[in-house]
Amino acid sequence: MLAIVVSAYIYASMRERKFLRSEANQSLELQQKVYQAQVLKEINDRIGYSLDTGKIVDIITSSLGNLLEYDTVSYMVLEPDGKALFKCHVEKTVTHDFIEQVKHKMLMSYEAILNQAVAPKAVDESITGNILDDSLRVEVQSFFNLPVVISEKLVGLINVASSEKGRYGAEQASILYTITNQAATAVSKLQSLLESEKGKLAAVIYSLADGVITVDLTNQLTVYNPALKGILGIVTEKPLTMFDIVDSLAGKVDIRTKIEQAIAEDKPIAIPEVLLKDKALELTIASVKNSEGEIIGASVVFHDITTEKALEKLRQEFTAMMVHELRAPLTAVRWSSESLLKNLSAASGVEPAKVKDTVLTIETASNNMLELVNDLLDVAKIEAGKFELNMQEYDIVELINEQAKAFKPQAEIKHLAINVTAPEKYSLKFDRVRIGQVLSNLISNSIKYTDSGQIEINLSVNAEEKTATVYIKDSGIGVSREDLGQLFSKFKQLRGSEHARKGTGLGLVVSKGIIDAHGGKIWAESAGENLGSTFAFSLPLNK
Amino acid sequence: MTKILLAEDDKLISNSLCDALKAAGYEPTPAYDGEEAVAKTKESVPDLILLDIMMPKLDGISVLWELKANPATASVPVIVLTNIGDVDTISKIVEAGATDYLLKSDQSVDEIIQKVKDVLARTVKLS
Repeated sequence: MLAIVVSAYIYASMRERKFLRSEANQSLELQQKVYQAQVLKEINDRIGYSLDTGKIVDIITSSLGNLLEYDTVSYMVLEPDGKALFKCHVEKTVTHDFIEQVKHKMLMSYEAILNQAVAPKAVDESITGNILDDSLRVEVQSFFNLPVVISEKLVGLINVASSEKGRYGAEQASILYTITNQAATAVSKLQSLLESEKGKLAAVIYSLADGVITVDLTNQLTVYNPALKGILGIVTEKPLTMFDIVDSLAGKVDIRTKIEQAIAEDKPIAIPEVLLKDKALELTIASVKNSEGEIIGASVVFHDITTEKALEKLRQEFTAMMVHELRAPLTAVRWSSESLLKNLSAASGVEPAKVKDTVLTIETASNNMLELVNDLLDVAKIEAGKFELNMQEYDIVELINEQAKAFKPQAEIKHLAINVTAPEKYSLKFDRVRIGQVLSNLISNSIKYTDSGQIEINLSVNAEEKTATVYIKDSGIGVSREDLGQLFSKFKQLRGSEHARKGTGLGLVVSKGIIDAHGGKIWAESAGENLGSTFAFSLPLNK
Repeated sequence: MTKILLAEDDKLISNSLCDALKAAGYEPTPAYDGEEAVAKTKESVPDLILLDIMMPKLDGISVLWELKANPATASVPVIVLTNIGDVDTISKIVEAGATDYLLKSDQSVDEIIQKVKDVLARTVKLS
């Protein structure tokens, strides 16, 4: 307590005396200011980005020799675990007892500042510098205790001590205060900056959907985020260890060796595909460095690519199917042209019936292909959001009848009847060509998937919901419950081994795009396989 | 007359190939899906089979396995005609015991007829 009171007194009186200084004093003061600035710069440079308070106190302490005379310079840090760290640098030879006196004075000062008894469980002591000689008769005659406060917290105490009386007056006090204050302020700022950056970083890592871990140089897990467990399928409430992670990877990748390699080569390692039981992961391993650029460990990012993989597979299947579907009509055109040419140049003469037949084949194949290419273009337009409608007021019953009539010949081949139940006339606004396309898609599907019975088309208007709904009901093979939801999605041509029919399934995707663009709804209902299906779409009346 | 079973679900392709086979002096029988193809070989064993892969009900590779499993048809030469040209499919076709393999859109009808002739000639020599 005394030390604090004394030092406060010295400080105050120094400020008063400031006005009485002579010019000679002013030049000395200037010189000292330059010196102070140098020391501060040195402290700043040495502290760098360190937030190790012990180290900071150490740096400040070791810089004081340039400014002050002392026999010993010491610092004491009280650790949160109740241990005390005491470091003493001996500048001039003193006795063990001298150092004990210093230590005692520092503890007293600590008690005064904290206003509580300080009895460290253990003191981690280190004495450096000159040799000690207990034969000397030296006592602590003057000393100065300086608290180091960073971010409003007492982090340590610096002490200078001398065997000469009256060593530390106002000038020295001023120097010490300035230095510790400025160093402490700089560190406080740095600390709060780093804390907030660290906080942000931690928040980012914690909120990442990817699993992230960091390990130290001994391959021990130091950090992991919550997403990790889910991605690796680890079920435990206990804190994770590296073993859990190695286990979950089931020998698919030797993560520890890869981490060691990333550290040894100081190069990120990407493992593009690790296939676990029900997951596909992409791993990126990189070394982690501290501010000095030393490698202190490694980080691993586990990115879940299961969905991407599944999509990629679907896309590949879709492409393969499209290639097949496009090649089929091309093949027919090619072979038919070939036989046509042969027929035309045959010595036996041209057979008109044969030629007509072949040309019909070419026509049908070309139409099939055109339809397919148009569907593909429509899907592309829908996906790009560039689907444009030509909305006009038309009679929808007229359009339904038109389409039903167009499909009659095709239905008759399979002995199917097409029946339309609708009012005589019903007008609303829609794109006639596009809705015609939807009707054509749905009716041709019904015919394709029905081997006997009939196709019923029916229009119903709901004045309350302000919708007009067209139902196309068949007595065909039906749709299983699990397939119903997938009918209108791209890449999905239901190809069951029992009753697969030709088709890309693009027609339904396009139909959905058209109905969506009208602000309507399209859906399918079926009681189950072989129980027939109903495809329906509704259009809003007020559009 | 040499009997050829043509398993092809695309009617247009089937028609034009049937015409060409007839013109070349063979007796083609069309089958429009995998099951029909297997059934037709049971009615009457053909001298050669032209087989598509992507077919309804039973795909070409399954048809091939069934043909090879049946002693009556195990030695009938099968030329696979398909438009799926990926390595995976080709290796499956070879594994299932096809005699030859042709990519439809790469061939002219004449080339296919020539292939049929070649395979038949080889088969006769062997038997």
